[in-house]
Amino acid sequence: MMGEAYGQAVTTGIVIAAGGVLLLAAAVIGLLSVTGRASPALRRELWLRLASWAVLLPLMLGPVLLGRVWVIGAVTLLGLLCLREYDRATGLFREPLMAAGVALGIVMVNFAALDHWYNFFMALFPLTVAVLAVLSIPLDRPGGYIQRTGLAVFAFFLFGAGLAHLGFMANDRYYRPLVLLLLTAVAINDVFAFTAGKLLGGPKMLPATSPNKTVSGALGALCGTTVLVACIAWPIFRGTPMDHWHLLVGLGVIVSVAGQAGDLMLSSIKRDLGIKDMGTVIPGHGGLLDRFNSLLLVSPAVFHYVGYYVGFGLDQPSRVITG
Amino acid sequence: MKWELRPARDHGLTPAARLRSSGREPGLGSLAIATTWRGAVRTYLRIAHRLRVDGLEHLPPAPFVMVANHASHLDALTLAAALPRPLAHKAFALAAGDTFFTNTPVAAFAAYAINALPVWRRHTTTGDLDALRARLTEDGAVLILFPEGTRSRTGAMARFRAGVGALVAGTPVPVVPCYLAGAHAAWPAGQYLPRPGPLHLVIGPPLDFSGTDRSRAGLIAVSDACEQAVRGLDPAAQEGAA
Repeated sequence: MMGEAYGQAVTTGIVIAAGGVLLLAAAVIGLLSVTGRASPALRRELWLRLASWAVLLPLMLGPVLLGRVWVIGAVTLLGLLCLREYDRATGLFREPLMAAGVALGIVMVNFAALDHWYNFFMALFPLTVAVLAVLSIPLDRPGGYIQRTGLAVFAFFLFGAGLAHLGFMANDRYYRPLVLLLLTAVAINDVFAFTAGKLLGGPKMLPATSPNKTVSGALGALCGTTVLVACIAWPIFRGTPMDHWHLLVGLGVIVSVAGQAGDLMLSSIKRDLGIKDMGTVIPGHGGLLDRFNSLLLVSPAVFHYVGYYVGFGLDQPSRVITG
Repeated sequence: MKWELRPARDHGLTPAARLRSSGREPGLGSLAIATTWRGAVRTYLRIAHRLRVDGLEHLPPAPFVMVANHASHLDALTLAAALPRPLAHKAFALAAGDTFFTNTPVAAFAAYAINALPVWRRHTTTGDLDALRARLTEDGAVLILFPEGTRSRTGAMARFRAGVGALVAGTPVPVVPCYLAGAHAAWPAGQYLPRPGPLHLVIGPPLDFSGTDRSRAGLIAVSDACEQAVRGLDPAAQEGAA
């Protein structure tokens, strides 16, 4: 169980800071527009991105503030929408049975989170994979079996089993500051990587996978995000078994490394498919996956790290729906 | 290790552009909507129009092109609903872009309900035709096409235009001629809603144009052969002949 005393202050702080960053960005872009420092094309692009953030931010932070059911509902919807983008990009949608199997798995694993039934939540990963492995056998069409099963299992891991950990965190009475921290830290991690890369330059990290990422950017993000996350997590975990500086630094390292790994994972998927963006839902960003890629790996990694030292919702009733 | 990873043909299009794309490929959501809609249409056709379908045994495996006479908005609905399930999910009705795809809510209805793909009358480019031909040869689709170009105002069949030949001439894709009787009486052009009345769909044996060349004469030969085959299926004409 996480600490209560300072959690509320951190929650308020993050919401105010997020709103403040949005206003500050608007002011900077406005200034660039008025002074004519940026080209019209760049200005349009910047306004578009800002407008998208102005819509996205309430959609991300709103459910966290509203409550447990909202968080799990939002995570379910996000998982299903990510599956849609992924199945259209990889061609898995041409196997509707497999896509439906993954969709059902996503709904089930989020239901287990809503029910606060940890054993079932954990069991659903191997069980769903087992179902996906046999699901298309009755079609008696062995050609492409490994591909469709592999794509489906990967999809379920990413948008079901992995992402659902974010929703499961909401079973803790004091989940709000940690979930808000993760949602904002993965975005800031991207900003740190971009800024450090631009400022320091230097050798490319993985040019064939993601040509714009540099080693300096990755290290800059690692340092910046680790410090930021450790500092904000300190009041959240005050008085809990995680109240040690090295454990808080460990949390920051996990957020930064898993966030960047998620980003590179999506770049690898897109490179392999030969596409630039996963979708067109968010103007200026691309698809939902282009925005939320970092959360896919951060959610399970942070869940089990915090779970090991502190735990989630251990004082809360379990199996609230199934009894 | 190389997998065959092929993104959707409409990947990267905005939702509105996707509706109007001839590369639109239905996913899980579209499939659910189409299945529900198809069930409703089949029930409606059975109850209100006592739909009778003859010649289902003539349907070849996909891909193929279905051509039919066109007298009513019921035509595309009926042909799509008459197809057995695995084929029904691969079937696209070609619909006039200027009627069905200029307004987004109407385009959404056409796309999700009858799985319509737009054809821009008098503005069809070679690229549009290539895209539709690719849907047949690469995706194994079924295209439903009304070569008269527009609904008959009298119920009498007009001459077929040459467009169908451009899709199939010189390819192994067969053309299945169909005749739908009773649609003009049930829902003529200009009437707001259909009224109950019997419908009779006759499906003829497939026609093969793999040996026909894509010259002007070849295209006309295809449309003439299709027209003749469709006219020959008219139950009234068959009774007259007998």
